[in-house]
Amino acid sequence: MTQLSMQTPEGVQDYLPLECHNKTRIERKMAQCFHLSGYEQVDLPTFEYLDVFATGVGSVRAEQMIKFVDSRGHILVLRPDLTVPIARMTSTRMKDQKPPIRLYYVANAFMSRDSSPNEQKEFTQAGVELLGVPGPEGDAEVIALAIEALRSAGLEGFSIDVGQVDFFRGVMEEAGLTGPKADELRGYVDRKNMLAIELFMNENGVSPGLRERIMRLPVLYGGEEVLGAASDLTQNARALSAIDTLREVYEYIAAFGLSKYVTFDLGMLHSSDYYTGLIFRGITDYFGSPILSGGRYDTLTADFGCSREATGFAIGVKRVLIALERQGCMEPLPRIDAVVSAAPEKRGEAYAYANALRVNGSRVAVAWKLDADGLEAYAREVDAQAIYFE
Amino acid sequence: MKTITFALAKGRLADRTADLLESCGIGCGDLRTNSRRLIIDDEKNGCRFLLVKPADVPTYVEYGAADLGVAGKDTIMEANYPLYEMLDLGFGKCKLCVAGFPGVREKQVTSAVKRVATKYPNIARRYYRSLGETIEVIKLSGSVELGPLLNLSDEILDIVESGRTLKENGLVVLREVFEISARVVVNRVSLKTKGERINAVIEAMRAKVEGRS
Repeated sequence: MTQLSMQTPEGVQDYLPLECHNKTRIERKMAQCFHLSGYEQVDLPTFEYLDVFATGVGSVRAEQMIKFVDSRGHILVLRPDLTVPIARMTSTRMKDQKPPIRLYYVANAFMSRDSSPNEQKEFTQAGVELLGVPGPEGDAEVIALAIEALRSAGLEGFSIDVGQVDFFRGVMEEAGLTGPKADELRGYVDRKNMLAIELFMNENGVSPGLRERIMRLPVLYGGEEVLGAASDLTQNARALSAIDTLREVYEYIAAFGLSKYVTFDLGMLHSSDYYTGLIFRGITDYFGSPILSGGRYDTLTADFGCSREATGFAIGVKRVLIALERQGCMEPLPRIDAVVSAAPEKRGEAYAYANALRVNGSRVAVAWKLDADGLEAYAREVDAQAIYFE
Repeated sequence: MKTITFALAKGRLADRTADLLESCGIGCGDLRTNSRRLIIDDEKNGCRFLLVKPADVPTYVEYGAADLGVAGKDTIMEANYPLYEMLDLGFGKCKLCVAGFPGVREKQVTSAVKRVATKYPNIARRYYRSLGETIEVIKLSGSVELGPLLNLSDEILDIVESGRTLKENGLVVLREVFEISARVVVNRVSLKTKGERINAVIEAMRAKVEGRS
């Protein structure tokens, strides 16, 4: 017999002390990293009107959002990400603030999806949004920040895989493919589905020269040399300028000494269609899905009436935590340093003493009912020092 | 050298895949002899093989428990995970078809919602949705042909190889939906973190499959 009163729903979890300690620890480190880079923390509502996520180009399909109805009949959703709400907030409440605007958050988001079993329905994201810094300068800033944040969490052996959606769009322009046709092909390229691409081109009568080039798209990944190979593929101005952006970003990253963390994949197109330029994903040997996702979304804030160039990323905190455990980087719970008790008339003195120790960063627990011997036994049990006031 | 892990669908597909890999110089002879072992290591080549139920191949690859896998296009479509589908091996060919008794449903007053028996509920929902039809999916694990015979369903969506089972039960193919064959799927992260090795294996297989070697 199953008692629902004893269980949590599928897709959510309890964080017990040891896991919670490590989660909080890496969240703080990443937050500190954002803070020290000049980003300000923001906190937004857990739920919003569905309409916020339904403006033109959305990040998440409506059926994946967890929805409910308020007493006036408005449809509300648990936020599926923070990027869109931050675009709403900065375009309304912060519309007069002079750019650049640098914001960060550590917050839970919610999504119900059947096709991505790795994902909890409630998940914590640590991320940043950089508004008002266009082009490679802004892109390089957030990519470097993503690298530093993952490093500060203690992750090793990861890389940031960088793509550029405008490159694909340019090649599509050149091929004369638009609308649903281009979307269909985009799905195949994103999944590196060679056979489907070939069939698509047969069905759509793509010319042999162009066909050869489109077939190369899914395999345009690797180091910096990919950029040269990519620019040989096209004469389209938009696509070439996309490659120039990537080169410029790479120059920044190389100058920062971070080039070993960066790879390229021009066939990576992301599912969110709010992205307008450079996009990226964080991957590691220790986890089977991307641990970080981000990119440039210059047109999203215009949907909320205040156009600003924007870029940012979100780190999946739980995924990083799993990768860290597989690396052997979990920390044990910090021990309790001392346990304090006292004879009834000495409680005031003992309480003040415990507080004085806490000021110096010691963890001090109390056990007022224990006598000296009892306290001694308890202290041995928790590996702490016993302090008794007689 | 980083070990790469293959998930292979137990049965005919695994045998054909083992033949192909062996012809590419990746020894996995144990795959056929030690049929009770679930994990088989080929330390010389830095490869590891998992023998799993066909329908589970995409799951192992999606979670990264395997870096790549070989499975039928039907199981890949049913799982619908964001995997890289990188090579058509050209064997395990069959067709995903809609079959049934033509004309029967139209005579039934109470069959306003078409009932479809299938092993592939996700593919069925997507396919009929693309036709703008509302259906009731009846999930079966095998002998799907019984659906129309017992008036459990109006149609079936299933893979058809020779068509003999259909014929012997008096059913006909109503529509061919998709060409099925064995595909190589790759975990999105593994392709980047173990790219060189995975690409070498895939290119070797591609050369054999396309008869260029």
